[in-house]
Amino acid sequence: MTLFLQLLVEGLVIGSIYSLVALGYTMVYGIIELINFAHGDIFMMGTLVSLFMVTNVFHLTDVSKMSLGGMLVMLVVTCLASIVICALLGVLIERIAYRPLRNAPRLAPLISAIGVSLALEDIAKAIIGPNPVAAPYLVPLVHYSIGSVDITNTDIIVLVVALVLMVGLQWLVTSTRIGRAMRAVAQDREAAALMGVNVDRVIAITFLIGAGIAGAGGFVFLLSTNNTVFNIGFELGLFAFTAAVLGGIGNLVGAMLGGLVIGLIRALVTYIPDRDLPFGLPHGGVAWQDAVVFAILILILVFRPTGLLGQQLAEKV
Amino acid sequence: MNEVMLQLEHVDTFYGPIQVLHDINLEVRRGEIVCLLGANAAGKTTTMKTIFGLVRPRRGRIIFDGQRIDNRPASDIVRLGLALVPEARRIFPRMTVLENLQMGAYTRTNKAEIEQDLDHVCQIFPRIKERLKQIAGTLSGGEQQMLAMARALMSRPRMMCMDEPSMGLSPLLVETVFETIVRIRSEGVTIFLVEQNASMALSLADRGYVLQTGKIVLSDTAANLLENDLVRQAYLGGS
Amino acid sequence: MAMLVPSQILPQTGETRRLLLKWVIAFLVPVLVFTLVWSGEAILNAALLAIFFPGSFSIAAIAAGLFMLLFYGIITGLTGYLVAADSGRQSLLDLWISMFFFTVVPILLIYITANLFVGLAASVVVWAFYYYGRRLVRRFRPPAPLPPLPSLKVLDAEMRATLLTRARLGSFWFALSFSLIWLLVDLLFYFTGQYGQASLVFLVWILLRSVLLPVAGWLLGSLGGLVAIRHAVPANGNGSNGDRAGAPVSTRRLRLLSATRAREEARDLVPNDLPLRSTGARNFYLLLLLALLVFYPMIDPFLFGPGTDSRLDNYGNAGYYVILALGLNIVVGFAGLLDLGYVAFFVIGAYTWAMVGSPQLTVLTGIHINPDIWPWLFWPMLIVAALIAALWGVLLGAPTLRLRGDYLAIVTLGFGEIIPIVVQNLDKYTNGTNGLTGIYSPAFFGVHWNVSTSEPYYYLILVLIAIVLLANLRLRDSRIGRAWIAMREDEIAAAASGINLTRTKLLAFAAGAFFSGIAGAYYAAKLSTVTSGNFSFSDSVIYLAMVVLGGLGSIPGVVVGALAVYAVNVLVLPQLDALGNDPSSIIYPIYTHILQVIPNFSFSNIRNLIFGIILVVLMIFRPEGLIPSTRRRHELHHTEAEGVEITSLDTPPGAPGFESEMRVE
Ligand SMILES: Nc1ncnc2c1ncn2[C@@H]1O[C@H](COP(=O)(O)OP(=O)(O)OP(=O)(O)O)[C@@H](O)[C@H]1O
Ligand SMILES: [Mg+2]
Repeated sequence: MTLFLQLLVEGLVIGSIYSLVALGYTMVYGIIELINFAHGDIFMMGTLVSLFMVTNVFHLTDVSKMSLGGMLVMLVVTCLASIVICALLGVLIERIAYRPLRNAPRLAPLISAIGVSLALEDIAKAIIGPNPVAAPYLVPLVHYSIGSVDITNTDIIVLVVALVLMVGLQWLVTSTRIGRAMRAVAQDREAAALMGVNVDRVIAITFLIGAGIAGAGGFVFLLSTNNTVFNIGFELGLFAFTAAVLGGIGNLVGAMLGGLVIGLIRALVTYIPDRDLPFGLPHGGVAWQDAVVFAILILILVFRPTGLLGQQLAEKV
Repeated sequence: MNEVMLQLEHVDTFYGPIQVLHDINLEVRRGEIVCLLGANAAGKTTTMKTIFGLVRPRRGRIIFDGQRIDNRPASDIVRLGLALVPEARRIFPRMTVLENLQMGAYTRTNKAEIEQDLDHVCQIFPRIKERLKQIAGTLSGGEQQMLAMARALMSRPRMMCMDEPSMGLSPLLVETVFETIVRIRSEGVTIFLVEQNASMALSLADRGYVLQTGKIVLSDTAANLLENDLVRQAYLGGS
Repeated sequence: MAMLVPSQILPQTGETRRLLLKWVIAFLVPVLVFTLVWSGEAILNAALLAIFFPGSFSIAAIAAGLFMLLFYGIITGLTGYLVAADSGRQSLLDLWISMFFFTVVPILLIYITANLFVGLAASVVVWAFYYYGRRLVRRFRPPAPLPPLPSLKVLDAEMRATLLTRARLGSFWFALSFSLIWLLVDLLFYFTGQYGQASLVFLVWILLRSVLLPVAGWLLGSLGGLVAIRHAVPANGNGSNGDRAGAPVSTRRLRLLSATRAREEARDLVPNDLPLRSTGARNFYLLLLLALLVFYPMIDPFLFGPGTDSRLDNYGNAGYYVILALGLNIVVGFAGLLDLGYVAFFVIGAYTWAMVGSPQLTVLTGIHINPDIWPWLFWPMLIVAALIAALWGVLLGAPTLRLRGDYLAIVTLGFGEIIPIVVQNLDKYTNGTNGLTGIYSPAFFGVHWNVSTSEPYYYLILVLIAIVLLANLRLRDSRIGRAWIAMREDEIAAAASGINLTRTKLLAFAAGAFFSGIAGAYYAAKLSTVTSGNFSFSDSVIYLAMVVLGGLGSIPGVVVGALAVYAVNVLVLPQLDALGNDPSSIIYPIYTHILQVIPNFSFSNIRNLIFGIILVVLMIFRPEGLIPSTRRRHELHHTEAEGVEITSLDTPPGAPGFESEMRVE
């Protein structure tokens, strides 16, 4: 039982990181119907920027020797740097690789996105090499026990940051002028232009926000796992994208929910110990982690073809 | 005579290799209701799209209020005080009615004025007022048409273009729509109207143009057009 | 009842002379470059040596010589056809420049780089610049648009005879001038003593050749002429029987034809404004391509020197990519179902043969099979593997029928992830990450077949591709093919017009998976080992890139796309380091410069970076793919089409859309 609860916490933490990345997928998909394959790699770039900031700018070696003020400054500056650089990167990618393809056949931007993703991964590989790189602790690790469950302060930071960003984004999209413009462009691009919306700019802003949130995701990922690798964006991106679809692509709350669900599934599957399973299936849960995620995804989609929260809107004829 | 608000000079528009508009010349003067008649596929919607920069004319000039607006993006053109009620309404189906209206006022920043216009629009369209919180996609066709007009009004346009506002409406509702159009004009908005419903449109318009396969074949005052044999035969059911 | 034909259609003698000049020179230059600068003559001489000097006897050399004869024959016939088919309205200079860039440049570049793919890649770069330059020139000096034909009359018997004569003349003059120049050059060599011991035989051969060539030209010209006549505007609108010549074509058809002289519809017409693109010419190309593919293993050593085996091995690998691309094209290109997990079916196919065709079978079931017979099982298992894959395609498709668009994509993606994991975890049966080894190669009568010989695999994949290609063509043009396309364009409308969506979708999945299964079985046999770790999502992505890059739904497009992606990703990019280190290569200076800035730079580290950039750039410049299917191309040039179908017949020459259509010749 303890182990189960422990895994639940783990699942929530990693799940909220999936959610952060999934938001970017779902926003971009919602507005231009593109699976932005490069988005996971923007997240990866966020981890790299964070790593670079703490090691090369703040020369962090042992966080326990830092003053509380110094540490806070470091965390905030690093997080902001990661957000800003990723946001700019997202806009740049949109400008170069997607905007020229606005009226192209549907799969052309998809291939272009794959190209960008490959390129970003190689750039990262050129910077940090092909192997995982360890980062120093960004905060002195503190363990809290609730009952028999162990929670660290980094877990809490991740959850808080994720929650704040998600609530903020939800507010932005539902209640502000720019949020309305984003939804308008998503629903009818031409009509939005007729309302005076500069469609290109709104799309760029969507990329800006989505990529910025991925940047924040990169930061909290580094904070909680203390390492990164050049293809982390690909792996994590795959689950984040799956999360976006699971929740109902284009739907922000759905993306958050999907991320948590996938995080939880992945964590809880490891609960199954490593011994022979029924039907002579070998290995424990860990080996089947990803397969279970996708199997559940398929099952859910079979019963809810537009995802958990996707609307069943009448098709445009 | 009032000064010219909108002027099209020698406009040619293509879709890919196909020419849809041939040398269109027309003008709309301040305070007028001008109506553009034409059969299906004559190019009426294309004319509207060309004015609003949604398709680019290959040749010719479009002037609104003394400024050239061909080769400017739609969002700029709208800011100049031109609004379009597009064909088939094109409201934002997954937003509430209120949000749709707010989108109409997207170019404006003065909150107080927007509030004021919201009240005003609700006054013109009482049906809308009752349903501000409803999701727009669930409105009936007639209500959606009202919403589309209300939304266009929210930008406080000096001139409003409407593409077949009576399409798919019951005769009673058509009546209401046309009454509303007259009312909007009486508030100082110039109106450029595309219609299939020629008798109705001509009865309230000042002048009219007839478009045939992309060419303007007739232009005259509405009264004269109503008398014109060609118009009578083609659009008013003969006799 | 001879009809007067305007001179624009059947040139009179003066113009015939011009046509002869145009085409003879256009073909002489590349053929001479190939023969004398590169290896054409060397191959023939090797064949000669093999015949007359038993010491150097080799079947390969004789086969290569045979190919060369075929090659010259086809080119000669083609020249005749072109002279006959040309309407003479395209400028001479235009043609020569195009011919130079599209034949001479690649020949030279391949020769210089001594590598087929590097050479072709370099040619592509040159072509890009050529197009760019041509567009610049045209912007400042737009070419006078071709006037529509004043009139187009049917050909009567007399004119058919004229066509035939012109074709004969064309082939004859080409052969004659070719043989004369060749003779001159060879005599020069002969008298400077280059031919050593075999001199007398060669002298006889040279002289004999010079006489035979023009005669052959005359005969082959008839062939070209016959092809041309087959495509001449028939008298009765649709029949190909020209006996009732003389009846004027209906005015409507006339108008359309003259408006679309150089376009799809006019491709099978003679006379033709762009005869190089006509259907008749395409028959010659296909013949040439076929001959080249069949004889390739024999001529390869002459073209590129030692290392034939490893090159053939590469082509054998490229081949299964082609099959995969063709299969995926059915799902994505025809039926419009985005599949991001296509690799799953490949895995299933590969493991099917791997489990049956390796000692693992004995381990699992205790069955012992005579090792002489075992390899023969490959053939039935090839079908079984394909069927099993197809079955899985249906199993995957069935529950997902309600899904639309990208929801379907994510399910296929999930499936593509699950299958390799399952294979890996069922290590009792599949040996997990260690993989299965010792998989048998196929067996065939008289062929010594094992892993280290690549020639049998080359022919095997050639046959497999041919079968898959034919199946694809048949499928596309069948009822089900039309149903797929209808479904892709508009699912609701398709269903409304009586198409059974369930069946149609499932068949698309099954067909796609079927071909993937074939590729998988071939892969297992060729590599002789399979490992679960070798298949991942990135493979699915690469397959998708091949299809989109080549041109969704276009069969020649995806073949080229597959070859291009394979070549860039597997052949060219890994070689960049070797090339960079080679002082004689083009990129050596660039490489050394980079090295000065970044000391331990290596191209292999940025392979994906380069590949990624290529993908982005290609998509931006050719979003519809390298060879778009006709239908797609039209969609693209009339964007925002809300279901508006515009046939290409509507484009009048001189209209702006027209130019862009004519870019490729
Ligand atoms: N996006 C497009 N691409 C290609 N052709 C188009 C496009 N939009 C319109 N057309 C063609 O242009 C012509 C004029 O269309 P348009 O929509 O302007 O007609 P309309 O006068 O508004 O007709 P209706 O009364 O039916 O609305 C039609 O032949 C139509 O097929
Ligand atoms: Mg219309």
